[in-house]
Amino acid sequence: MYRVARRLTRNGPDAEDLVQDALVRAYRAFGRFDGRYPRAWLLTILRNTHINQLRKRRPDLLEDELAQRLPARGEDGRLDGTADQAFRGDLDPIVRDALASLSGNHRAVIALIDLDGLTYQETADFLGVPVGTVMSRLHRARKKVRTRLEANGITEVHR
Amino acid sequence: MRARRARALPTPTPSCHQVATVLQAYLDGELGPKDAELVAEHLEHCERCEVEATIVGRVIEVIRDQRPDLGAEPFERLAGFVDQLTRDGCPREP
Repeated sequence: MYRVARRLTRNGPDAEDLVQDALVRAYRAFGRFDGRYPRAWLLTILRNTHINQLRKRRPDLLEDELAQRLPARGEDGRLDGTADQAFRGDLDPIVRDALASLSGNHRAVIALIDLDGLTYQETADFLGVPVGTVMSRLHRARKKVRTRLEANGITEVHR
Repeated sequence: MRARRARALPTPTPSCHQVATVLQAYLDGELGPKDAELVAEHLEHCERCEVEATIVGRVIEVIRDQRPDLGAEPFERLAGFVDQLTRDGCPREP
């Protein structure tokens, strides 16, 4: 939850606040939870809590706009995690450039699945798109990264 | 929010094309056990698919190596918050 919150808010203190708010909501709603897929349940609460926070700060934004801003763009419109200053120092330059060159949709699935460890289904629920869409975006995104890496000899298997 | 598996493979021997359609799900651990076993068996005997799987696996590995180290402190603080929440109840309105 914290990793995803960090990606949404792009700073540590806000991410902790977001997770705490989501946990309180989860605690209150626990009686209605059917006990299945707790990670997906918590991530949905996290996402909705974040939307509510954004709406409080920017009431002029419509629901669709809020949804579109998750998680590819944060509240100030900057690109999410993989191009984020907070992560910049950790990324190998070639991989970082490859990830930064992806579209927002492609970068989002790579970030949620490869960097945050979500499953296809969790990612689909989180983004509000079908699992098949997640899989095709992931495939295309990795293919683009692969092309970049191959140009730099990183994925050579005959070593 | 039910977990959905990637498409099922025909038994007993999937073709290279069929393996290619589920290779990503296989490498991500998203295939069911029976399909994963069929893919693993195919890769053992098909050099072309095995090379492709190695390359795609390497790409995934390189990307996942970039996972940011967020440190242990936020996780510890949040674990403390969960303990407090379950022990004392809600501290405030969300």
